Amino acid sequence: MNKTSRRRFLSAAGLGAGALAAHGLIPGGILSSANAFDDPLAPKAPHFTPKAKSVIWLHMAGAPSSLDLFDYKPELVRLRGQPLPDSFGKNLKTATDGGVGALLATNRTWKQYGETGAWISDLLPNLARQVDRIAFLKGSKTEGSTHVISSLKLHTSGLVPGRPALGAWVQYGLGSANRDLPAFVVLPTGTGNAGGGRGATIWSSGFLPATYQGTAFRQGDSPILHLDRPSVVSSDQQRGMLQLLRDLNEHQSAGRPLDSELQARARSYELADRMQVAAPEAVDLTKESQATKALYGIADSSTPATREYATALLRARRLVERGVRFIHVISGAPDNSIDSWDAHRDIEKNHSVMSRQVDQPIAGLLADLHALGLLDTTLVVWTSEFGRTPYGQTGDGRDHNPWGYTTWIAGGGIKPGTYGGTDEIGLRAVSGIVDTYDVQATILRQLGLDHLKLTYQYQGRSERATTVYGEVIEDIIV
Amino acid sequence: MSPLRKAALALALSSGLFATALAADSPDAEKSARAAPAPHWAYQPVQRPDAPKVRQKKWARTPIDKFVLAQLESKQLGPSADADRATFIRRATLDAIGIVPTPEEVEAFVNDRSPKAYEKLIDRLLASPHYGERQARRWLDLARYADSDGYNADGTRPNMWRYRDYVIEAFNRDKPYDQFIKEQLAGDELRPDSNEALIATGFLRSYPDEINARDLNLKKQEIATDLTDTVGAVFLAQTVGCANCHNHKFDAISQKEYFQLQAYFVNASARDDVMPLKDNELSQYRQKLAAYEAATQSVRTQMDAILQPIVDKLEADRVFGFVPATRDSITKPEEQRDAYDRWIYHRSLWTMVGRTRNAENRLKEQDPAAHARYQELKQQLAAFDSIKPTDPGNISTIVELGPESPPTHILANGIYDRRLDVVEPGVPVAFAAGQPNIVPTATSSGRRTALANWIASENNPLTARVFVNRVWNQFFGHGIVDTVSDFGKMGERSINPQLLDYLAYTFVHEHGWSVKKLQRQIMLSRVYRQSSAHRPDAYALDPHNRLLWSFPRQRLDAEQIRDSLLASAGLLQEKMGGPAVFPPVPGNFGANPNAWTVSNNPEDHHRRSVYVFIRRNTAYPLLETFDMANPNSVHSRRDVTTTAPQALALINSDLVYGWSQALASRVVREAGASEDARIDRLFRILFSRGPDAIEKQKLIAFLDSQEQINRQTHSAAPAEPGMQKVSTVQISSPQDPRESAFVDLVHAVANSNEFSYRF
Repeated sequence: MNKTSRRRFLSAAGLGAGALAAHGLIPGGILSSANAFDDPLAPKAPHFTPKAKSVIWLHMAGAPSSLDLFDYKPELVRLRGQPLPDSFGKNLKTATDGGVGALLATNRTWKQYGETGAWISDLLPNLARQVDRIAFLKGSKTEGSTHVISSLKLHTSGLVPGRPALGAWVQYGLGSANRDLPAFVVLPTGTGNAGGGRGATIWSSGFLPATYQGTAFRQGDSPILHLDRPSVVSSDQQRGMLQLLRDLNEHQSAGRPLDSELQARARSYELADRMQVAAPEAVDLTKESQATKALYGIADSSTPATREYATALLRARRLVERGVRFIHVISGAPDNSIDSWDAHRDIEKNHSVMSRQVDQPIAGLLADLHALGLLDTTLVVWTSEFGRTPYGQTGDGRDHNPWGYTTWIAGGGIKPGTYGGTDEIGLRAVSGIVDTYDVQATILRQLGLDHLKLTYQYQGRSERATTVYGEVIEDIIV
Repeated sequence: MSPLRKAALALALSSGLFATALAADSPDAEKSARAAPAPHWAYQPVQRPDAPKVRQKKWARTPIDKFVLAQLESKQLGPSADADRATFIRRATLDAIGIVPTPEEVEAFVNDRSPKAYEKLIDRLLASPHYGERQARRWLDLARYADSDGYNADGTRPNMWRYRDYVIEAFNRDKPYDQFIKEQLAGDELRPDSNEALIATGFLRSYPDEINARDLNLKKQEIATDLTDTVGAVFLAQTVGCANCHNHKFDAISQKEYFQLQAYFVNASARDDVMPLKDNELSQYRQKLAAYEAATQSVRTQMDAILQPIVDKLEADRVFGFVPATRDSITKPEEQRDAYDRWIYHRSLWTMVGRTRNAENRLKEQDPAAHARYQELKQQLAAFDSIKPTDPGNISTIVELGPESPPTHILANGIYDRRLDVVEPGVPVAFAAGQPNIVPTATSSGRRTALANWIASENNPLTARVFVNRVWNQFFGHGIVDTVSDFGKMGERSINPQLLDYLAYTFVHEHGWSVKKLQRQIMLSRVYRQSSAHRPDAYALDPHNRLLWSFPRQRLDAEQIRDSLLASAGLLQEKMGGPAVFPPVPGNFGANPNAWTVSNNPEDHHRRSVYVFIRRNTAYPLLETFDMANPNSVHSRRDVTTTAPQALALINSDLVYGWSQALASRVVREAGASEDARIDRLFRILFSRGPDAIEKQKLIAFLDSQEQINRQTHSAAPAEPGMQKVSTVQISSPQDPRESAFVDLVHAVANSNEFSYRF
């Protein structure tokens, strides 16, 4: 739909930012005891001075193999084709259709890049040029062996559904910085199922109020449900209707001057009005230059391999510019030949397709954020539900590996470098070990929230985003 | 002190402070503040308190009124005047049956000069079959009810609607609450031959589950944890889950006691294949089936010969998909399986079904020729459909696979494979009125029966208090204990302990656990009859209105909004019961396109919201926007959020605009040509009152200006891409600009605050 036809249905006169929150800022989302209706999205003061304002969460659904992207293991190459040595495999609780295959060496060529000397394989040539902006957490570990469970843990810190996603906690803790847009946006790409690890439970508000859940943007230019008027209603017609609505609400609540909930409801129509304009504008890439698009991999000449994912990342950057707090980008496959990063077979083909899809867009995003001065206040996180095993499966694939893999974080007050590592074959994290709870605690910290203080009372417990676990990874903080 | 504990205490202090301050006048509160060793109030026996003395004796109609009034008077406050009758009937009708009253019902009540007018109204509402539909929805929130499994596969549970209908029926028939508890926790043990009792265990069966789980040992523990925490929260308002990993920090529940409570559930298995037919119906069905099977024997044998090898291979592969410990239980010879192995094996069968239902697709991939032959055979089989008996469906229930239970271990930090000591079933000593007496049956451990009897005992100090408090919360928006699922020390103090005990005592001892009598008593109280008008004097003293100096107005919940819009538009289909329905949804509304297939029957599009399919991961958008319950765990209380997407849903949805068009047509049909009459009728339908002079003037002025707008600018915009056709409500713009303006007027009025609240 073209923008000129999408006229705003109400004049926004008299509604400045001051109308957003009349009551005080309460740190960490503990609701005020003021008699006013507690606006769940009102901005709230953080616990610390924040270093980052937004998070772009690059969720590599299906789980890429660190051993073919970031974690160079000469020893694994040397042991190619041999059974998993007992010294590594002891107490391994496997749950695999194919059992433990022989060790599978990577076929990649490896180089160190940048001043930090980070190892990157030839699958990520563009990202290789951005390594000096990145902190690699090469001793990452998690729990569970299925996409569903580990993906729940990665996002909600729970092994069963029902807990809030990190993005929901961030919204709860900080409120919204731009009421014209949702503060927690999910950008799914592709159609693969990633072993079931990418459904709505991972952006749920769980036991927090429903208003904190992620809003999954739809493809196309109308990203949110019901942004467009009923098909038979003209914009002038709607403006008249909403003026009447405003009059009626005012008239009917005249006897209830202190009822801030009724006032908030009346105001929600004006917020809706602004969202009608703001949301399509936020995802409209027509204003972006050809150079910017080319940087991400959306230029006309580029292959369809990067187009969808690059579009999502450029949208993510536009959302960051507009104050959206948390943008969860889910990777999917660019075509139907593979499902996701979940390479149980033919990892060569799988990872070359998947890497090509994300490499240029992510490198472009980092460069673009940096050029715009936004990287300092934006956390870009590469993460997955787990990694993949050094031993093979079905001959040429790798199985799930929750014991040791790589996560990385860039921007937002994070110190670039390489932290931690796995054993000689890349099976288990052995140094600088960080769990998903620690990554979450660190992200909250950079956003100005103390993961020990951000609590919500539920079923008698002071629930926290990271449950009873989680330590800030001090080593990577500037 | 740990930071976590500090934060928890800070929160507890801030939330509990007000209640404590207000309750401090009661001698009870002073006593417990001084005497530390006295048991926590919620564990003390329920006594029947005498109604307190009040000054405004004439105002108080019922003992409830005296308990509330005494607190108001102690703060030098008086109650509010009665609400006018129109406001009252709208309030009571929404509360009891979930929709707005018709203008005729309002008029009849307003003009009823009988001294029993209120009694007649409340009795009519409580006798309505829609009473059960409304009350059931609140219970289903607690039961984490859904029509799907959850997790990511989130497959359909085709039988759960029977449990939903059981709950509706239980409220409609006023099933005594103690019996309601027993059936839901142990119906299979108590009356194994009764469909109703089996269906009732749907309460337990409603745990979320993952068909593809690879570690069934973990899954078994997760299910036991869900059942323990759910039963603890719903019936006892105890946050027992806190003691899963460690001794409860605030309440007298040790980690050992937690696992003792869990021991009641460790032998509970799900069955989804119980035949619902009985006696004659069953034998007739079997006869027909036998005839069908005989006639199709040859075709089916040929089909099996093609598909069975694929099924066998898929099953064999699937076994290796389980973790080694799970595999051990499954592959053991049957006679070597103990109670634990039996549970795991039984659960694995479901995973196998999930795997093998893809067998046909697998055949297609592997052997196209065989697949083609298989399709031919299917065609031949279909020729016999005319003699095939109708599939009666199944009942989903909880059962046990034998009288011995597997051992229950205390788990280190609640981690499932770190087993410590074995414990026996038992209830926490702090709130025990004696220990349950377990009597195994031939096929079942008897543990859940024992627990159910203990919970449903008239001596249990928690059960009745917790339930009457939930009901109170439902009417007034706050519980007497505001933390409705936490009666522990960290919960809020009771704001009116004597009122709570009065309601609990009479509920059990005088009303025989009758929910209708409890609700009748509250709805006929003077407290419930108060106006919700603003009062500056009272507001200054008690801004949250916790003392109930007026009736607390509340936003309609998700189902009340949708159902009342449909009822107002004259579209609501009042058919009761049966499988869940899928009303139309906006195109591309969820991540999973297969999750929602709109029902073919247009009548199903306008059924009550309680019948709308609940897929755990793909909620019906209109209900979700208005804070419907999250079905993944016990949902104790509906949130009230006020957001821009709610406004967008009501003002922009083609669906809702279509309902406004239907409402406009109804108004024109019923009120005739006069615009004054139309506006009057519209207000009476939506607000149960007529418009005042200012409103009338505004609305007529709107018609004039909107008519001009429509005349000048209206052009039919193209339909929004991605919208599914709204099959029963044709939305099209009326040709006449004045009529079109009237539709807009209706839409604006339906969007106004007054419609979405009950005052």
